[in-house]
Amino acid sequence: MNITLEGIIIIVGNYGSGKTEVVINLAAHRKRAGADVRVADLDLINPYFRTREARQSLEEIGIEVVIPAKKYFYADLPILCPDVAGLIRKPSQLTLLDAGGNDAGVAVLAALADSLKVSQSRTIQVVNPYRPFTDTIQGCLKIRDEIEKVSKLSVTGVIGNANLLDETTADHILEGYEFIQALCQETDLLLAFITAPVDLIHQLDMNTISCPVLPIHRQLVPPWKSADKLI
Amino acid sequence: MGKKILMKGNEAIGEAAVRAGCLNYFAYPITPQSEVAEYLSRRIPEAGGVFLQAESEVAVSYMIFGAAGAGARVFTTSSSPGISLMSEGLSYITAAQCPAVFVNIMRGGPGLGGILPSQGDYFQATKGGGHGDYRLLVMAPASVQEAVEMVMIAFPLAEKYRNPVMILGDGLIGQMMEPVEFPDHLRTDPTDKNDWATTGMEFRKSDKPNIVKSLFLDPNALNENNLILKAKYDRMKAEDIHYESYNMEADYKVLIVSYGTMSRVCRTAVDNLKVNGFEVGLLRPKTLFPFPEKKIRDAAAKDSCQVVISIELSMGQMVEDVERCVQGRRPVKWYGECGGNIPTPETVMDVVTSLVGK
Repeated sequence: MNITLEGIIIIVGNYGSGKTEVVINLAAHRKRAGADVRVADLDLINPYFRTREARQSLEEIGIEVVIPAKKYFYADLPILCPDVAGLIRKPSQLTLLDAGGNDAGVAVLAALADSLKVSQSRTIQVVNPYRPFTDTIQGCLKIRDEIEKVSKLSVTGVIGNANLLDETTADHILEGYEFIQALCQETDLLLAFITAPVDLIHQLDMNTISCPVLPIHRQLVPPWKSADKLI
Repeated sequence: MGKKILMKGNEAIGEAAVRAGCLNYFAYPITPQSEVAEYLSRRIPEAGGVFLQAESEVAVSYMIFGAAGAGARVFTTSSSPGISLMSEGLSYITAAQCPAVFVNIMRGGPGLGGILPSQGDYFQATKGGGHGDYRLLVMAPASVQEAVEMVMIAFPLAEKYRNPVMILGDGLIGQMMEPVEFPDHLRTDPTDKNDWATTGMEFRKSDKPNIVKSLFLDPNALNENNLILKAKYDRMKAEDIHYESYNMEADYKVLIVSYGTMSRVCRTAVDNLKVNGFEVGLLRPKTLFPFPEKKIRDAAAKDSCQVVISIELSMGQMVEDVERCVQGRRPVKWYGECGGNIPTPETVMDVVTSLVGK
């Protein structure tokens, strides 16, 4: 089952839900499938582990990454790059906007809300049920409500990103899948896809999963580990 | 042990304190540790505790003093410049023999420096920072799980010594995510503090009030207080030195001393070099004060060891303690960066092999 997302997709979620890792891998995955992809780093609140860390790997495979100017790369300041407005006015086949965590992280989206509404964007929430505050359906919905209130956008879909990083097993993926299905059943949210570390894909019984699975080639790693090759 | 969850270091530090039975947290936000406050602003009220964002770090340190002096379990978190501002209070709290836990998620300095990881506060944490003859018991975690465990044991240790304990992590410890579990067996009940804290006269066995203070104008009384503090620091050296040895059973040519996340890079380098037939030992102090003096002295004296190197995210601070321990028996070198970049395993491999030739 293929991931066919197109248009402007805004990726939101709570802190550490894995938005950036999902955005990087989704961008590369869709690019491999022939789509024209651009990515914007709208994470104005997180000091480490942002999309900008993977800029080089994305650009090497022909994905344009819109991030603040190099001189502001390490600034602990909420800088919104003016190029983002252009990106929204003239979107690529797939344009991914990687927002910051929680409601605080999406405050920037409210500033773009008018143009985003005109452009018919979709807002999708990344959920990792192994993270604090999103280990229950109520927790996920509370985060969703807070994000919607601040961003002035409606969340219409979810991405299941169940993982414990290096300690993830196939059971975690399947338990996470059941959790995300229950979340979708209780709401009108659409399940866009779930993720799985690329090494675990062959261990998953695909007959039990009725949605696309995005293989994750881990990019955001600490300095004593090497990132997976993106392609 | 509970269920494993994926947590950012800063969140895990906050949760560990709550699980350790600490329900008083006063703090002022600063990158890269603000998520502790963010997390606890939600979590501590849920647990029935008190979260207070102070007007400054100076104010935080005296809120900690007040609460600790009144017998409460209390802690704070900050990052380098914030700890500088708290240092006056730390000196007072230590002089008054109050238990409290301080967490420093270090960023690059001096001055405002930057927001990326650093270990530039080694001297500040282990040699003072504030004024006077005082020491903190300093623990340095190398993983999020170890940060959890160190925070949980920091409270009983602070109470054991009636002295502040500092958890010294670099920015990466605060910002990185790892799976963690919270060991229930590390939860402890606060010790009875009625014999010294200002807990109220109804708890007193005599009519003598408890006075918590750091002012001793009588020279003999001040000297006596300093002797009491010194005896505690000597006891820490006897009872609470902790470290990890890695590949130390091998006939290593080089001994690396490294702590915190930097030691994890070194560990990867040690593994890679071992594959190439180049043996390197790694000694990781888990307590920076008290420092594993004898262990380093003995490890350096091993026949195969030609050179000792301190690898740290500073311009050469821990290396002075390593030199002190080695006592001139082997050459002691230093390597480090402190702009925010963390050396890669490949860099460490090059540095280490260049010390003895290939």
